[in-house]
Amino acid sequence: MSALLRSRAFRDVAVVIVVVFGVGSLAMLLAHVSPIDGFGALFDGAFGTRSELAETLVQTTSLLFPALGIALAFRAGLFNIGAEGQLILGGFAAGWLGAQFPLPGYLAIPMVLLAGALAGGVWGAIPGFLRARFHANEVIATLMLNVVAFLLATYLVNGPLQQGGAGASETATLPKAAQLPDLIADSRLTWAFVIALVLAFVLRWVLQRTVFGYELRAAGDAPEAAKRAGIDLARTAFVAMALSGAIAGLGGATIVSGVLHRFNTGLSPGYGFIAIAVALVGNLDPLWIVVAAFAFGVLQSGGVAMQAEAGVPRDVVSLVTGLVIIALAGRRVVSSLRST
Amino acid sequence: MNATLAAILAILGLTLVKATPLIYAALGGVLSERSGVINIGLEGILIAGAFTSVAVSGATGSPILGALAGVVAGMLIAAILAFAATRLGVDQIVAGTGLNIAALAAAAFGLVLVYHQPGASHEVPALGNTGEQVLIVLAFVAAAALQFVLARTPWGLRVRACGEDPSAAESAGIDALRTRFWAVVIGGAIASLGGVFLSLAELDLYSDGMTAGRGFIALAAVIFGRWTPLGATGAALFFGFFAALQYSLQRAGVPSELMQALPYLAALVALAGFAGRVRAPASDGVPYIRP
Repeated sequence: MSALLRSRAFRDVAVVIVVVFGVGSLAMLLAHVSPIDGFGALFDGAFGTRSELAETLVQTTSLLFPALGIALAFRAGLFNIGAEGQLILGGFAAGWLGAQFPLPGYLAIPMVLLAGALAGGVWGAIPGFLRARFHANEVIATLMLNVVAFLLATYLVNGPLQQGGAGASETATLPKAAQLPDLIADSRLTWAFVIALVLAFVLRWVLQRTVFGYELRAAGDAPEAAKRAGIDLARTAFVAMALSGAIAGLGGATIVSGVLHRFNTGLSPGYGFIAIAVALVGNLDPLWIVVAAFAFGVLQSGGVAMQAEAGVPRDVVSLVTGLVIIALAGRRVVSSLRST
Repeated sequence: MNATLAAILAILGLTLVKATPLIYAALGGVLSERSGVINIGLEGILIAGAFTSVAVSGATGSPILGALAGVVAGMLIAAILAFAATRLGVDQIVAGTGLNIAALAAAAFGLVLVYHQPGASHEVPALGNTGEQVLIVLAFVAAAALQFVLARTPWGLRVRACGEDPSAAESAGIDALRTRFWAVVIGGAIASLGGVFLSLAELDLYSDGMTAGRGFIALAAVIFGRWTPLGATGAALFFGFFAALQYSLQRAGVPSELMQALPYLAALVALAGFAGRVRAPASDGVPYIRP
């Protein structure tokens, strides 16, 4: 028991709970709302009905993809702050191609998802390449590419690749064949949730049981030793960043194909940033990240009800998320300490 | 005076206005990074300065008090990062990212608490044209002063030593943790003036998202300016010039998104080493943990 209490994972969870409920309660009191009512509304909004639970799982799914991507990069000793941009460009590629080239039945969904993964992968590969080839700090590069991705998608969707109305900032609606089928009828929950879960298991297997995963972790944990053991650090960094981007891009594609049925420049309320908190709370372990994504999914979907029912601004959820990231920043020191 | 000259002068004036918040934020970033702490939280510091100065000016009726409060708020945010970076040895980039998210949300929450409305504050007593001009001039004075301090004073030497090799600095009797802490906090004070400028000099209110990523453009300016105060100021002016040109070029058919992306693309080019040799302080972003 005392070993459990002293373990780092336990301390992390304790810190997260204290931050969420402590800061959350304080913020609610400032807004003249009793924390019991506030959190009551939040949890009721996240679990109260079948459709609310479905919406919580939708949020879980949208957070899970970028969080898995970020964790993969983290494990390789790289910090991908660019998941937001990769997710947006993945969403754009999926939405534009899906609406532009209607394919029959079984081909449409794979094409849309593949397009998203490819676009996100390319966007992740750029900082990976800059890192591998020019020793450019991937943190700053991904940070810059986030904004460029948003501007690029905005430009394309309103400019040369316009499908919707002028200035609408969205593509045309995807044909039915390109929309992920519902998992629960009359909800926005689709098979994307299952894909995300499978991906988490696959990623865990890859990290723990394959040579590639071993090289990746070695490059992250002990770069000097890895280099001496003949692991090509530059190549590992490039592949890890490209894969990390591809997973985030796939997430963007599932939002387009499953939730919105079109690309819109506002498709992400910052999933790529919240996912950093998810990855850290999940201890960079794909299976724990599933649990963490659910916890943050609850906050995301319950936050809407907390604002509507209890009158607590939703910003409290973002505030708590930011503080959780700060609280867990000591969890692992990774950022760009290794030399490629 | 002919029309062309007037147009050029208008663009140059607008350049100064657009560049000033970038200069302050970039100078804060330079000081912090030269001491070895990467400050991703510049955006959060701008937000803290912009929101707090408006809230306090509105409450007290004094924009001067508001500006001072904005600086204090910026220092507090920077102090959180500085404490985490020096005493807890955390990942500075993760912590800075969290700070940005938390600061944006706290300001949005604060708007609802203070003004009972989301989105924007009421109009408050502002610093006005004189205040705007004073802050513009002060930005250049600060740049020159910081350049001098870093290059020519004992404290500047200590800061740079901690950014290059903190353990060597400690063996020479420098308290690396303390030096880094104060470099980040003073950097936060300088950067917060950029936020004060945005909300209380250029305008007279705070609105959600008004900093619009300027903290990240400032990071780009730090890199493009090769981690020197004058270089970063030059880069900020360059980015400010394109921001000022944006409206005219948009009329000429250049997409505004391309103009907005320019600072980020310039930073990427600089990062990749295409713009000459760019070298960050050797221990930039590396936590120093005493043996």
